[in-house]
Amino acid sequence: MPITVNSADEAAAAADDAQTISADEIALYDRQIRLWGVKAQEKLRSAKILLVTAKALANEIAKNLVLAGIGSLTIADHEQVSGDDLCSQFFVSEEDIGKNRAVATAPRIRELNPRVAVHVESIDVRTRGAEYFAPFDIVIITEADLDTITSINTHTRLSNRPLYATASHGFYGYIFADLISHDYVIQRDKSNVPTALKAETSTRSVVAATTRKENGKVVEIVTKRETYSPIALVNTAPLPAEHLKNRRRLRQVTPLLTCIRALWEFQRLSNNALPSHSHADVELFTTLATAKHKELQLPPETLTSEFLRSFLQNIGAELAPATAFLGGVLAQDVINVLGGREQPIQNFLLLDAAESKAPVYSLHPPTNSEDGLVVPVFV
Amino acid sequence: MGREAYPKQSLGSLYRRIKESRVLLVGAGGIGCELLKNLVLTGFGEIHLVDLDTIDLSNLNRQFLFRHEHIKKPKALVAKGVAGKFNPNVKLEAYHANIKDPMFNIDWFQGFSLVFNALDNLEARRHVNKMCLAADVPLIESGTTGFNGQVQVIKKGRTECYDCNPKETPKTFPVCTIRSTPSQPIHCIVWAKSYLFTEIFGTSEDDAPEFDHSEDSENSEEIEKLRQEAQALKRIRQSIGSPDFARKIFEKIFGEDILRLRSMEDMWKSRRAPEPLDFDKISQQALVIDTSVTQKDQTAWSLPENFVVFSDRYDFLERLRLGELINCSLRRLSARLQDAQAKAANGDVSPVLTFDKDDDDTLEFVAASANLRSIVFGIETKSKFDIKRELPRKELVDGMY
Repeated sequence: MPITVNSADEAAAAADDAQTISADEIALYDRQIRLWGVKAQEKLRSAKILLVTAKALANEIAKNLVLAGIGSLTIADHEQVSGDDLCSQFFVSEEDIGKNRAVATAPRIRELNPRVAVHVESIDVRTRGAEYFAPFDIVIITEADLDTITSINTHTRLSNRPLYATASHGFYGYIFADLISHDYVIQRDKSNVPTALKAETSTRSVVAATTRKENGKVVEIVTKRETYSPIALVNTAPLPAEHLKNRRRLRQVTPLLTCIRALWEFQRLSNNALPSHSHADVELFTTLATAKHKELQLPPETLTSEFLRSFLQNIGAELAPATAFLGGVLAQDVINVLGGREQPIQNFLLLDAAESKAPVYSLHPPTNSEDGLVVPVFV
Repeated sequence: MGREAYPKQSLGSLYRRIKESRVLLVGAGGIGCELLKNLVLTGFGEIHLVDLDTIDLSNLNRQFLFRHEHIKKPKALVAKGVAGKFNPNVKLEAYHANIKDPMFNIDWFQGFSLVFNALDNLEARRHVNKMCLAADVPLIESGTTGFNGQVQVIKKGRTECYDCNPKETPKTFPVCTIRSTPSQPIHCIVWAKSYLFTEIFGTSEDDAPEFDHSEDSENSEEIEKLRQEAQALKRIRQSIGSPDFARKIFEKIFGEDILRLRSMEDMWKSRRAPEPLDFDKISQQALVIDTSVTQKDQTAWSLPENFVVFSDRYDFLERLRLGELINCSLRRLSARLQDAQAKAANGDVSPVLTFDKDDDDTLEFVAASANLRSIVFGIETKSKFDIKRELPRKELVDGMY
């Protein structure tokens, strides 16, 4: 319906109305607005998100983002629903077997929140160029191999779009984030020590700090900036110096990092296939893992045969509690990134659900601290 | 291939135990919906779900098993229907009931291999913790606030239990807990300070810092009735200084309002119903009490003692008319407020009294009315000394207001 306006003021008011949140939305989103505020909710409401591959992990991410009230979700998947998909996916059932997975899941995702536009693309996004990814505010790729992540990461870097890549293998999984350069705000009680505008870590710096009085307390509003690296550099990056310098910390690094890198290498060598339980596959995977473990300068004894066996047993499986955790953490990060609040994942989270651990490692090519230039290291 | 393939692959021999297990999930809220989905998809053989709540609009942003058309329906039953479809091999049993109901006895708890708590209140958590210890069934306890959360495994003789560590009393309380269903002394103290005192002597504070309004929308009818109650109290405030002021206030808050709450039978199914107080009867009992009772601040006052501190002895009210100085908090405070109002220049904002725990008049009034309310609800009474300790320090108010 066309809107007729009489003055510039009314036009501005109408535009404001379209962007501000209605009373209905405040009632629906009451609990989360109490947590992250109306401004962040408004940013969420206009966000367009691309989610690639609609399996268990993507179900979780879609559920969390659609419930939170993003603007639109585009689900891209070129494969069909299989019997295995019924194990851990709650948006498909028996009658969907054989249908396109994005087409089958979309109606149930829509039911979660009619305010969110859910679009379906039954295409293989690997066939698309940078212009395909540019219209989205955030791109999330699930269950992809390293080549796919690398190529889409090139596109998201070109169009300056944040990228998340995540995958799960039974009890194990990871989340990778490349937010390129991301500014966010944290609020804290003002300390007696003044906040200096300077680097806090090799990737994070404080770029602004202001104060505000709130209920008689002085609250400090600090803007920080995190800078990221693309997957092509992250995949070969060493562990942070504070780990490499400390043998005790190196011993605590999960061998899952080794195994994810070994798995990517295995897929690259075997035309994207996952390792089977055949003797040849197990042997190749073990060789690759041993090499990656050494490359990471991790002590050989932390890559145990029990861990290798457990990882291989879990490869390719989807387990609801693990995908729920990964999808929960990822969606929460996406929500905070859109709202420009809270510390985001920097930049590689590993989930070992068998140990109930999910450490985050900051993996970047080593920088020359004197001139700040990126110096690739060849081993 | 099919439903069991991945859980079998990942879990190996553990999968059979999961498939043969019988588990209990208490709570179908934010955590409960997620947990139920995970349990169903993982293939736990038999899952029993207990929740006494019905679905509200403000649940829909996170409790993903519920949709708009489910509003006002019982959470447990809707959750069973929706999550059941995720895996038809799982047997689901739902109870729209309070986990504290006697039907859920120790024998019943013993029938489970594992219990999951996904609750939103201390009381129910403590109850399930006790039942699981008594039944010797492992309990997985969970909770969340904002971006944070925790999970704790509780197993008799192996780990600490939920009550092994004293829990900090929450600083805020749902409005309905304070105004309709108090169960602890602190609820009555907050009621006396942040509702009663401010409505009679202060500026009415709908937004006292102790009030947590996050559950208001789920109890909108009750909230509306409470608002009307507060307005009625404000009307009584007009008669401040009149000889029957104490009686009017007393009969309103410990009589009329309690009778209204009592009439809401659903509220008292698993709680003790409140007993109204009779002004005339108690004032007779109070005849023998001396007002020096306020000096006795380390032991909890009796009902007539609280009554004396709150209002006055009936015969004192007679003398009050004669302007006799009486050691009675309500009268003293009324006098102070009237005095301040008399001194205020015309056109000024009407003066009010503010609560200060170091001001004996305000402290005694709050202590006595909190205790009278505790008696109404069958809650333990506290000494003036203990009540003072429970109250926050004088609030710092920003000069800008």
